[in-house]
Amino acid sequence: MKLKTILIFAPLVVSVILVQSYFWVPSYEVQTVGNPTRVEKFINSSIGDAKILNPIIAADGASSDITTLVFEGLLDLDENLNLRGRLATEWQVTEKAYLIVVPGASFADGSAVTAITLEQRLRQAIASGLVPGLKDQLLDLRRIAAEERVQDVSLPGEKGEVQTVRVRLHLPARIQISLKEVDQDLFKKLATVIGPKYADSAPYGRWIEVEPANMREAVKPQFSQLVPVFEHNPIIEFKLRQGVRFHDGHEFDAGDVKFTYDAIMNPKNLSPRTSDFEPIKRIEISDPYTIKVVYKRLFSPAINAWMMGIIPEHLLNDAALKKEMDRRNISAELRETFAMRESEFSRNPVGVGPYQFVEWQSDEMIHLQRNEDYWEGAPQYKDYYYRIIPDKLTQEVEFRSGAVDRYSARPHQIARYKKDTRYQSFSSLGFGYTYIGYNNRLPLFKDPRLRKALGMAIDVKEIIKYILYDEAERVTGPYPKNTQWYDQSIPPLPYDPAGAIKLLNELGWKKNADGWLEKDGKLLEFNLLTNNGNPIRKAVVTIAQNAWKKIGVKCNTQLFEWAVFLQDFINPGKFDAVVLGWSLSQDPDLFQLWHSSEAGPQKLNFVGYNSPQADELIVRIRKEYNVDKQRELTHRLHRQIANDQPYTFLFAPRVTELLDKKIVMMEKDGSYSKIKPSKSGRIYYSFNKWKKLEHAPEF
Amino acid sequence: MWPYILRNLLQRLVLLFIVSVIAHGVVHLAPGEPTEVDPSNPRMKPEDIVKIRKAFHLDEPLHLQYAYWMRDLFSGELKSFKDSQPVLPKIWDRFLNSLPLFILATIIIWTLSFPTGIHAAVRRGSVYDRSTTFIAYTLISVPGFFLSYLAILWVVSVLGVPVIGMRTFGMEDALPLFRGMDRLWHLVVPSLMTALGGIAVLSRYVRSQMLEVIGQDYVRTARAKGLPEDQVIYRHALRNALLPFVTMFGFLLPGLIGGSVIFEQIFAWPGLGRLGYDAILSRDFPVILTINFIAAALTLAGTFMSDLLYAAVDPRIRLH
Repeated sequence: MKLKTILIFAPLVVSVILVQSYFWVPSYEVQTVGNPTRVEKFINSSIGDAKILNPIIAADGASSDITTLVFEGLLDLDENLNLRGRLATEWQVTEKAYLIVVPGASFADGSAVTAITLEQRLRQAIASGLVPGLKDQLLDLRRIAAEERVQDVSLPGEKGEVQTVRVRLHLPARIQISLKEVDQDLFKKLATVIGPKYADSAPYGRWIEVEPANMREAVKPQFSQLVPVFEHNPIIEFKLRQGVRFHDGHEFDAGDVKFTYDAIMNPKNLSPRTSDFEPIKRIEISDPYTIKVVYKRLFSPAINAWMMGIIPEHLLNDAALKKEMDRRNISAELRETFAMRESEFSRNPVGVGPYQFVEWQSDEMIHLQRNEDYWEGAPQYKDYYYRIIPDKLTQEVEFRSGAVDRYSARPHQIARYKKDTRYQSFSSLGFGYTYIGYNNRLPLFKDPRLRKALGMAIDVKEIIKYILYDEAERVTGPYPKNTQWYDQSIPPLPYDPAGAIKLLNELGWKKNADGWLEKDGKLLEFNLLTNNGNPIRKAVVTIAQNAWKKIGVKCNTQLFEWAVFLQDFINPGKFDAVVLGWSLSQDPDLFQLWHSSEAGPQKLNFVGYNSPQADELIVRIRKEYNVDKQRELTHRLHRQIANDQPYTFLFAPRVTELLDKKIVMMEKDGSYSKIKPSKSGRIYYSFNKWKKLEHAPEF
Repeated sequence: MWPYILRNLLQRLVLLFIVSVIAHGVVHLAPGEPTEVDPSNPRMKPEDIVKIRKAFHLDEPLHLQYAYWMRDLFSGELKSFKDSQPVLPKIWDRFLNSLPLFILATIIIWTLSFPTGIHAAVRRGSVYDRSTTFIAYTLISVPGFFLSYLAILWVVSVLGVPVIGMRTFGMEDALPLFRGMDRLWHLVVPSLMTALGGIAVLSRYVRSQMLEVIGQDYVRTARAKGLPEDQVIYRHALRNALLPFVTMFGFLLPGLIGGSVIFEQIFAWPGLGRLGYDAILSRDFPVILTINFIAAALTLAGTFMSDLLYAAVDPRIRLH
């Protein structure tokens, strides 16, 4: 029977064709069979795909993994996490401060303030040392005549819309003071000359005209900012590297830096980075390789924004975008909104970085190739692949079969992999930590002693040992533990349930007949929440619940999907306590997380921490330009927050990276050595020197 | 016949419209915001979020958003929130990736199910029949993702070769023959895993169909005529047992779209299922809605085709 024969042979033939393909595929041990160029390629993997490869628009981790290779900023961090010049060869921070000559004000001796007398007296006071420490710092002091200026002010309208109003400023005469270094206390020091109440008599009303006039009341709260009596203008002057070329051969210069800034601030581009660059007043180009950035106010973290990749002006300016619209036949309606986000550049980026873009297949991979013309010398690897593997287990499987070159192990796998001689492993502390946050606004949690007692009841060592397999470290405060901002000398809360009960008894909580703590007939009871999908947080919730139960605190727990968790509980501030984590940066500025003004709905200080001492420190830190002084302030802030215990700080997880053992650090002369991570633990710091050998080396 | 077709088409169009309205409502009412306008992103200022919401028409009432979606969809200018790329070409690219997986899985299902099912029916009650029954129910009960993980672990630790994705990475410069075989190998495991459930179900179905037909009078007549057993089974019985399967081709159509979200996720296959899944996670409304719309359209087209096929193959059925 023909039909019978077909029915029997068809599956056999299909199986044979499928099975024989196995014999053609390379394995982990012999990756070069039929494919000798495998060793020239580095293959990375990621859970999620990149979204948009334009550094000024990208906001996700995967996109920035790629943009940091394709683009380069003026600065980056060296192995000790200090700033290092990249496209900038050197930079200098100076300051120009402005003091308005307030009409009608008078000096301490009663004589009236005029521009001339003010200038004379300041000059004298500084030269004579009456104002301490300014003599060496002063570069220049001069009078500036009155001037007119027109400016747009944006006002938050109803329903979150933004309204712009035009204001005409009649700026009075001012004194301009140029300093070698930024001094946030300059005007405090000058108070010996102008008196402490100098600004009080400032007639803002006379200096400002609002059009239309009926909006005057709405603008009024901003008057003192529109014409500030005391104004600091920090200035950063960058010298740029010469002879650096974009991947298309066009030379990089100061115009590209200014263009990058303009593009970020252009509302059409919807850049998520505007807040980093908002403090900039203006950018001046002195010559093609010198650029001066003038800031509106004291904000020291602003310099970190220059780590952002510089984009090419000649490919993205209005003329280039118009050409692209013509070529792609964009309809007239869409031309209105066409901007960088829509440009093909976002999927086909051109930068000056060590790798240049080749290809992007969505949700599969991104392919980069080394930039032979890179200013620091071309990297060792010829190709860089960024694979999208959405599942952690499949990532591991691909790593073990040699189709991916690195894998970051999960806590329970680390011990096993560290012993495995086929791989090399690197362990480092990340920039994140996990904590229990209490809603500080609630009367229950108002007292820091109660929060401290709750923290003392939890055995964090046990959590680290059993939940994280010892792959984490105890933390005591708000900064990442591997930065200089963290004060290593602060002791963690002791694990002391008996002490916790004692502390709670002192606060009036007594055990009732059922063993629960009670005060005025009310149980010490609250809800502890966290988001679904994070097994470690879930385990922490369970351990905390159990630990508190032991001291008589009743805690109910619940898990929610991330979006619901944020929308229904965190943003409106409707929660008692939560288990969450932060992932931070090397930035010492913690304004958004801890300042009392950031405690509103949808803000990051969602626990409502409110401490005047901490507020003052936070503001001083972001205004301080001297790193040593900054460190001293951050240590004080750390201690303040550790005393207040708005969170119970738990642990910072360690991250373990695994690499194929055949990867080494290759010098230009052909000698190679084992890969050495930087002091802060980043192994990719020396990535441009990495190279894979055909066989595993012996050291 | 023609009035039936016209009336049916019209009904289905109305149904498609209703489905799209409901889907649009459900997707927008679900909690969470598109990641691009997520207020919990510390880098986004409220003003920027307002602007982006406006550009995405998210501040308009639902019925207007529906109208914008429909207009953009049919003018081909619909764009993803995530990367501002046109939605339709994006879906088409992913569809082409999913297609080989779907075709190979279908081939495996249909070539393996028939011999096993027929054999089990002919030897009803034998050890072979019982063991295939046992295996089939095991395969139906064990979740596919679990078997996939086992298969992956086995391949990697015993055979030591890659199984994830559409091909082995870093093979671009290898010989074409190596590359072709590599691609085929990468199809084998995921399509086999996708097919397992299908084989189990379809072979059971074939078996029961055959059993039913073998008990019929005309089969007894054929045997009584003294025909050889093979001829009785493969000519007289099988042809009649095949009838219901013809209509199943129609139901294959919607499988082209949400076919194997789980398997594409596990095997990192850049297919349509994953596109939809990722879109749901990042609340990329245009992509979710368009995939949903196409899936609904294909389902309706599939059932319609089944009706027509059934009438075409089985002379006892007339459409009117």
